[in-house]
Amino acid sequence: MTGYLIRRLWHALLVVFGVTIVVFIMLHLLPGGPARAILGVRATPAAIAAFDHANGYDRPLFAQYGFWVGHLATGQLGYSYKLNQSVAALIADRLPKTVLLVGLANLFALVFAVPLGLLQARRRNSALDYSVTGIAFVFYSMPLFWLSLLLVIVFSIDVRWFPPEAPQGNLAQVLTAPGGLVLPVAALTLITIALFSRYMRSSAIDSLTQDYIRTAQAKGLGDAKLLRRHVLRNSLLPTITLIGLTLPVVVSGALLVESVFNFPGMGLLFWNAAQAQDYAVLLACTVVVGVATAIGSLLADLLYMVVDPRIRTA
Amino acid sequence: MPGRRYRGLTVLAVAAALAASVAGCTKAASPGAGPTGKPVTGGNVTFAESPGTPPNYIFPLDALQYFSTNNINQFQYLMWRPLYWIGDGSSITLSESRSLARPPVYSHGNTVVTINLKPYKWPDGKPVTSRDVVFWINLLTANKLNWGEYAPGFFPDDVTKVTAPTLSQVVLTLNGAVNQQWFTQSELTQLTPLPQHAWDKTSVSGKVGNYDTTTAGARAVYKFLDSQSRDLGSYATNPLWQVVDGPWRLASFSPSGLAKFVPNKAYSGPVKPKIASFAEVPFTSEAAEYNALRAGQLTYGYIPATDIAQKSLIVGQGYQVQPWYLWSMNIVPINFNNPTVGPLFRQLYVRATMQSLIDQKQYVKAILKGYGAVENGPVPTLPATPYLTPALRNGPYAYSVTRARSLLREHGWTVPPNGTSTCAKPGTAAGQCGAGIARGAQLSFTIAYAAGVTSIGQEMQAWKSALSLVGIRLNLAQQPAGNIFSTMTPCSPHSAACKWQMSYWGTGWEFAPDYYPSGEVAFSTAAIGNWGSYTNPVMDSKIKATTTKNGLGVFHDWADFATQQLPMLFMPLSPVQISAIRGNLSGALPQPSAGLAITPENWYFTGHT
Repeated sequence: MTGYLIRRLWHALLVVFGVTIVVFIMLHLLPGGPARAILGVRATPAAIAAFDHANGYDRPLFAQYGFWVGHLATGQLGYSYKLNQSVAALIADRLPKTVLLVGLANLFALVFAVPLGLLQARRRNSALDYSVTGIAFVFYSMPLFWLSLLLVIVFSIDVRWFPPEAPQGNLAQVLTAPGGLVLPVAALTLITIALFSRYMRSSAIDSLTQDYIRTAQAKGLGDAKLLRRHVLRNSLLPTITLIGLTLPVVVSGALLVESVFNFPGMGLLFWNAAQAQDYAVLLACTVVVGVATAIGSLLADLLYMVVDPRIRTA
Repeated sequence: MPGRRYRGLTVLAVAAALAASVAGCTKAASPGAGPTGKPVTGGNVTFAESPGTPPNYIFPLDALQYFSTNNINQFQYLMWRPLYWIGDGSSITLSESRSLARPPVYSHGNTVVTINLKPYKWPDGKPVTSRDVVFWINLLTANKLNWGEYAPGFFPDDVTKVTAPTLSQVVLTLNGAVNQQWFTQSELTQLTPLPQHAWDKTSVSGKVGNYDTTTAGARAVYKFLDSQSRDLGSYATNPLWQVVDGPWRLASFSPSGLAKFVPNKAYSGPVKPKIASFAEVPFTSEAAEYNALRAGQLTYGYIPATDIAQKSLIVGQGYQVQPWYLWSMNIVPINFNNPTVGPLFRQLYVRATMQSLIDQKQYVKAILKGYGAVENGPVPTLPATPYLTPALRNGPYAYSVTRARSLLREHGWTVPPNGTSTCAKPGTAAGQCGAGIARGAQLSFTIAYAAGVTSIGQEMQAWKSALSLVGIRLNLAQQPAGNIFSTMTPCSPHSAACKWQMSYWGTGWEFAPDYYPSGEVAFSTAAIGNWGSYTNPVMDSKIKATTTKNGLGVFHDWADFATQQLPMLFMPLSPVQISAIRGNLSGALPQPSAGLAITPENWYFTGHT
């Protein structure tokens, strides 16, 4: 087990390293350069030269990469001249808010989707199953942006139950007015429930056809116990995979929701940095998302072992 | 010295477009208070910032990357007033009442400028003196390369001596005679007195001294103040930033851009704030702003261009809706040094042909929904000013496909009814294509235009279609604005940087804080804003005259020449936003065109706040 973990961590490190190299090269292939993109069209050649020198952009590419990795190793993620803040401060401000938003949405989605999927599988081809499937399809196919706007129009403009935007400020300030989180979390949750419940239903249907389920039924096990003890655990593998894949999203943000609900998180940070060629922010965000992807994949594998002893002993 | 800043482009405009279609499904809210009623003191105003452009630099000596409307005109100016204020309502004139000094006095053949300060005070009771003006000049001179407005040869390079004979007088000796109006409106407007008695130090705990009087000391002071300005979280609590001479002081600030101002009780200007507080609210997208506007959360917001069909809903909510125009020109820079299309652009008839196929009137009507104005040359047409001439108003190259086709044929081009025009008569004589254009050459151009703004894309499509009528191919390349700015650079013909051909980002160039709309930075040979490397000795001479000789005649002579010569192509002016202002907020209209510099001290509520 320990050896497996070390092996996986080593692989994850290699993946992150490879991602940084690819992103670094791709960023530097962009036409122009960061100096003019950041300093603007009035920048004199002297100002551009000074900016490039100060930030090491006048060095060879491999030297720039080495310089950046060296700083990364010491926890220095660089400075965003566009936003006039250190990248570490920006991520420290945005990441907790994004984790709160997307994390809450995923949590609620799991809480609702897993039982819903099980119930649908158990009542397969019933009116309930068709109804839930229909609703799930509606949400699953609905653009997130569209759903967000509908929620705002109904609950903020028409009935005025919730504000149309999340509270401004840091995480603590956001938490002082939780009402502002209701709509953005709801928008993400509704879409995610649809996704998770479909996977759960499909997986549970497979489980319900297995011999051990028939055996359990033949022994007189009740429906609730059957689902909880035998179907749930054996049907969770696809959902665990999804959860693992979701972790990068938890840290990379939900661009559209952040955009509609005025909730500046990691998604918008990355998007705006891409528009402005803000190299420092782009590279740092890539590393954060790369690490989260590797961790998510690792966590999914570990959860497989917890859920399915066959994988543990394989 | 036209210091032209670009405004941030709208992000996620697709979001706004979708918002329009959804919002149309809802019913209008009940109207708010109307514009009539007794003025009341107090009330809080919430003002929507443009998406993705929150203020993020407080020290009013802005480096290039922070030199923007959101940092200067709508943030720093509330706390630190420039020496000379341009703008009275939407007009572009010197506002003597808002300026910190009396009108400058020119002497010695317009080579010496005397500035007499008015009796303004800092909050600690100390007067705003000539030392504060000299402090700013010293900091600038030692750090000019960092300054967003710096253009070689102009302020402070054109000032040879600065003296302060008395506490209320500053005398500038210049390196040559200047046009008084140009120097006042384009150079003196850049000066902002800073509290030397509080800021002339090099560390938080250091004592205030006269460090700015040496270059090394001025650099150390600048470095310290710049470092303080990098701590966004401390803007409202750092004692440095509370020493203000403007009508407002910062009460709270979040790094995301939420800025709340309260009146500066010690403000010595003529108009004291009447509202209790003024908050600038950041938004991640136009859709988010529009949601907040529809929910009634904003006093002063805007209707995104893509939602303008919803105007009646907003009016129904009790808002006044007005377009807000920036004192700017909307341009399409073209690269005269591009090895492929440079020879074509160097022919005036080619530029004239392309300009003649921009149907500006139709763009304003159909694409900008009536909110806009035709711009034929380098002088803004809105608001109306004495700078405009008949040629600027009417344009020598009004839309005409017939004229465009004739221009090409008269210069040796074969223009088929359908297909691509080709050069049939190469050569430099009359009736021939011109230097560097070979037989069979085609008129094919690539323009990089800003992504994410619907109206820009529509203008480009319309232009492409019109150009095709005379056999000119326009290849459209949509890009982030940052990419456009990073590639649009002056270049030598065979350098790798010279691949760009044409650029368009839709918001043009702003005449602020140098408001005199002359062309020395954009159109003079080798000027920093002359990205396309246009060069013409006659143009240089006429531009020089606008900065050195008094009188509007000199200006008109240059403006007409530039309009006829087309050193860049011109597109219609569009509003920076369609503002929605609560009906019970008075004093906010007309909106200031000069730098979009808001003056909330003039605002007050009538009726319910």
